[in-house]
Amino acid sequence: MFGWTGTTLRVDLTKGTITREATDLELAHDYLGARGMGGKIMIDEVAPDTDALSPANKLIFSPGPLTGTFAPSAGRFEVVTKAPLNNVIAGSNSGGAFGPELKYAGYDALIIEGKAAKPVYLWIKNDEVEIRDASAVWGHTTPDTTDLVRAETDEDAKVACIGPAGEHLSPIANIMNEMHRAAGRSGVGAVMGSKNLKAIAVFGTGAVTVADPDRFKAAVMKARKLIQAHPVGGTGLKAYGTDVLVNILNQTGALPTRNYQDGYFPTADKTGGESLAAKQLVRPKGCFSCIISCGRVTKVDNPAYAGYGEGPEYESAWAFGADCGIDDLDAITKANFLCNEHGIDTISLGSTIACAMELFELGVITAKDTDGVQLTFGNVPAMVEMTRKACTGEGFGAKLAQGSYRLAESYGHPELSMTCKKQETPAYDPRGVQGIGLNYATNNRGGDHVRGYTIAIEVLQNGAVMDPRVTEGKADLDITFQNLTGALDSAGACLFSTFGIGAGELAEMLSAVTGVEYSVDEFMKIGERIWNQERLWNLKQGYTTDDDALPKRLLTEPIKTGPAKGEVNHLDKMLPEYYQLRGWDEKGVPTKAKLKELSLA
Amino acid sequence: MTVKYFATIRTYTGESERRFDDAPATLRELLAALAARYGNLFRNAAFAGDALNPEIIILVNGRNVLYLRGLDTPLAQEDEVSIFPMVAGG
Amino acid sequence: MAKVLMIHPDKCTGCRNCELACSFEHESRFRPGASRVQAYTWEREGMSVPMMCQQCDDAACVKVCPTGAMHRSTTLANLVDWDERVCIRCKMCTVACPFGNARYDAASSSIFKCDTCQGAPECVTFCPNGALEFVDDEQQVRSRKKAYAAKFKEAFQEVS
Ligand code: SF4
Ligand code: SF4
Repeated sequence: MFGWTGTTLRVDLTKGTITREATDLELAHDYLGARGMGGKIMIDEVAPDTDALSPANKLIFSPGPLTGTFAPSAGRFEVVTKAPLNNVIAGSNSGGAFGPELKYAGYDALIIEGKAAKPVYLWIKNDEVEIRDASAVWGHTTPDTTDLVRAETDEDAKVACIGPAGEHLSPIANIMNEMHRAAGRSGVGAVMGSKNLKAIAVFGTGAVTVADPDRFKAAVMKARKLIQAHPVGGTGLKAYGTDVLVNILNQTGALPTRNYQDGYFPTADKTGGESLAAKQLVRPKGCFSCIISCGRVTKVDNPAYAGYGEGPEYESAWAFGADCGIDDLDAITKANFLCNEHGIDTISLGSTIACAMELFELGVITAKDTDGVQLTFGNVPAMVEMTRKACTGEGFGAKLAQGSYRLAESYGHPELSMTCKKQETPAYDPRGVQGIGLNYATNNRGGDHVRGYTIAIEVLQNGAVMDPRVTEGKADLDITFQNLTGALDSAGACLFSTFGIGAGELAEMLSAVTGVEYSVDEFMKIGERIWNQERLWNLKQGYTTDDDALPKRLLTEPIKTGPAKGEVNHLDKMLPEYYQLRGWDEKGVPTKAKLKELSLA
Repeated sequence: MTVKYFATIRTYTGESERRFDDAPATLRELLAALAARYGNLFRNAAFAGDALNPEIIILVNGRNVLYLRGLDTPLAQEDEVSIFPMVAGG
Repeated sequence: MAKVLMIHPDKCTGCRNCELACSFEHESRFRPGASRVQAYTWEREGMSVPMMCQQCDDAACVKVCPTGAMHRSTTLANLVDWDERVCIRCKMCTVACPFGNARYDAASSSIFKCDTCQGAPECVTFCPNGALEFVDDEQQVRSRKKAYAAKFKEAFQEVS
């Protein structure tokens, strides 16, 4: 067998048992790995009504068949579990070198079940697997945990761990690997915390094999050339990182500002990738097998916010920046460092602080609630202080760490939470860019951009172009991106490889690695299968067509200033067509025929 | 009229924006004037032959000129023009 | 003209494409443990450094080798080559190399040491960042010297 290792590792933390089972290769052909296989395992093994933070939930770490090879920028893995934030199948994708190391240790997936009686970490060295006491590392930040676990295992081990936020079961806690890469969204860190699992250290000396080495090398050379020749994949991302997007979204009038009260932030340029490259960038960094190097090693000298680490990404710079009415890049980067160190999602936390700022300005909450802090938009020290408190869970921070939906609802104003299916929407205003609104509304994990990145076409002119202001054709565009990403994530590839290559190149590399022939159609069908599988899970969670919605503000309150002034999102013009093109009924339920076509029924 | 430059375009112009008291009549005229001012790196980024380089993104008042009239987009004194190379992230 | 492998840690992003290319070239599969080049990353500092055999002129591994398996290549200049047929796997070379650039791999019962892919190093082809270079032996000294000269130039330009 090629591409896949053929072995899945199962660890039951309640019983303390470790078992190895053969990976179901029939399923692997249809679901690839990572997000697809992880989701399939969830559907087969976890009852839909399971409490996400109970021992019955499972936590799956899964790389893809391309992970561990030199397919360009394809060394990723997915953390799959039932999401504490919103009950969906969480699939949080991360890079770094953890996924490849899991493959070299011999595993297509690691399934963690049950709950340890006290804090433990997992040490995987090829086929030697141990559950070890973690009482000495519990409470530590993610970089310190990584160092401490390495000192007890192997200095070259790859470590994924939670920080204090995951220990406190924050539903927006993440899992960090190699100190700086995040499986960020939907609260996967809280599931790890609920299992008393602080960290996983992996060291592998095995190999990932390839069915047709010559064909694979040729396919890789071709894909590399395409990415390197692309202005974004080849030079742009390395020079400026993802934060370069601040300006183009702002100039388009679609940079959500002050909790989406506006779509334009006059001083946004101070927080963009150009400023970051000029002031904070130490060097670019790449994940395993990456040829793009969007990672930023950054340093802040300003004594008030001094620090050293990685980031911020665009989404983080927006969440702590424009969305909080803040243009101080040093403070933004500091907030980002704090989140990484404590293991909490930057998008959700930044957006939650923005929501709290609006609650404060409306007088719904006062300084009595916020531990004496004047939590107004644009208050830079207050933003950093609230980030710190949310990270450690102290005072008002404990409420912020619940995410904006729970926060706003507890004060009787859920409409001020900028979320879809309770997950914070990212840094693209659907009033200025119609198609991304449809994606937020229909996305299987709620407010999310990566699984339906229509921005590439609507704003970034990547390959094709579509006017962001129109609704025509957007249902089709969304579906294409959602399906493509489903397959791409499951193969182990990075979304940014699409700035250069597409389904054709990915299918070719996949075929050469695995020896299973994938046409472009089959590749896209895998993505569609995965999308529908996730949809079926959501329907079982009680989500209905009413939840395929946007925050009311985005439909009824026009953008106040800037280039997209006066615009709202027209979701109602797109959603029925979306259902129809998906082969779902008018209630958004996949038809029998569709499920049969996808081998889901 | 204000013209704003971003990302690598900024490295070609050496400044992040410039104001013009007399707006050229069309985008084509503006880009030709800018190419004359900033030199070949800018020219090559802006034009592919006589056409607009597909790898440049130009917004006039926040609207991509591809949805306006391309190089023939008329310009007025109160307009804001933003010039980007292809960028991405997420 | 003879060529040498040069490393530029300042350009390295830690992506390890070099390791993948090396192991793929030698084994047609991906096993970083089999790579003759290793890129180490210090995550706190965000620094990465690629390490590989320097093909020393006065090579310790050649000196200690009792069988002549480790030898200066007669066909390729600037290559210290290893002959697996002559090698008795005493591992003396791995002890002698001051950099740890010669390694014994139990899985394949081989000495792992960079062989420059016999004059066409795959790591150089696959490094996306120019952190590894295969250059003329004279060129490498000249370019380094010139790079330093350029730094001086900048410094003096600023004061004058
Ligand atoms: S293995 Fe070590 S001693 Fe031998 S040539 Fe290479 S660097 Fe020099
Ligand atoms: S391929 Fe180049 S940039 Fe990547 S780790 Fe190796 S030397 Fe560094």
